Amino acid sequence: MLRGLAGEANAHGELLTLMSRYLRGYFGRRLGAGTADMEDLVQDTLLAIHLKRETYDPTQPFTPWAYMLARYKLLDHFRRQGARTMVVLEDAGELFATENPEEGAVRRDLGKLLGALPAKQSQLLRDVKLTGLSMEEAAAKSGMSVSAVKVSVHRGLKSMAKRVRDADG
Amino acid sequence: MRTDELIGVLAGAAEPIPPGRVRGRLLLACVAGVLGAAALVFGILGFKHDFPQVMLTAPFWMKPAYTTWFAVGAFMLVDRAGRPGAKATTGRLVLAGALAAIACLAAINLALSPPGMRMHAMMGLSARLCPIAIIVSAIPALVAVLIVLRGMAPTRLTRAGMAAGLLAGGVGASVYALWCRESTAAFVAIWYTLGIVACGGIGALLGPLVLRW
Repeated sequence: MLRGLAGEANAHGELLTLMSRYLRGYFGRRLGAGTADMEDLVQDTLLAIHLKRETYDPTQPFTPWAYMLARYKLLDHFRRQGARTMVVLEDAGELFATENPEEGAVRRDLGKLLGALPAKQSQLLRDVKLTGLSMEEAAAKSGMSVSAVKVSVHRGLKSMAKRVRDADG
Repeated sequence: MRTDELIGVLAGAAEPIPPGRVRGRLLLACVAGVLGAAALVFGILGFKHDFPQVMLTAPFWMKPAYTTWFAVGAFMLVDRAGRPGAKATTGRLVLAGALAAIACLAAINLALSPPGMRMHAMMGLSARLCPIAIIVSAIPALVAVLIVLRGMAPTRLTRAGMAAGLLAGGVGASVYALWCRESTAAFVAIWYTLGIVACGGIGALLGPLVLRW
């Protein structure tokens, strides 16, 4: 941001590209990902970051500044829509959460499925399939033998797959 | 337009921003407000011929000192209100300091005046005129500050409008103080503060209407 303020086009462009990613996440979570409104708001806010960049005070943190611009644009959008939508005052950190909304939804579903398994088994699945530990490391961590871990992970995946099939069918 | 195209265009338009440009514009608005208030006060109420004499007395300077102090705090608030996400702690402290100082002076003033004179110390001769005169004197500054503030990026419009109103009130009151002939701290604490706070209220009402960008 500071280099953009000094007139460096490259740095300014990089900042805007980076922000467009965060903003897509921020608006996507509130309006639904991929909607035309969302992309409009992203562009609106990028424009605001550009046009209002002189109001950024270099002695203050950048994140709240950008966050308030995005929030203002979002409220403005709701006001123009006339929708009586409640917007909770979230903390600024949420704007910079890196995952996109699809990932969030996937993670939630996965969490539900894992939660339905016995605690030990779901922990093993997390370690092996999500955290990326090897079978040996997972075995050491849980105090089980390597082959027992393999069997447990295999059975866990199977019962999760069955659950998904049952839910779909 | 696609978003990456927009980014390309904006990055190409990244001319450097001199630091302090916004603050400079805000200061300019205050100067315009002072000139406008001077034109209103001395144009409507007229000059007073005892100006050179009263200028030498301390009570005369107490009023503009208080209102200018107040305006400085409000200036910080406006500057912050126009910058999204910025904290306004210093401005609030300065404002609170100004209020505390005038309250102390007023308390001393009342404690030292004989019981029969206390009402007079508070009401003076122009209690009715004072707040109204301050509101009228504040109009030019209010207009100028709101215009500059709108060009900034206020995101809480009522709050930003109130800060603008307090600043305009402080500026207007500082000019009116040069005309006013009241000399008791109790009077200033009550009626000047009332006038300035009324300006803040007007600003708070106007904010959501005129500060959208």
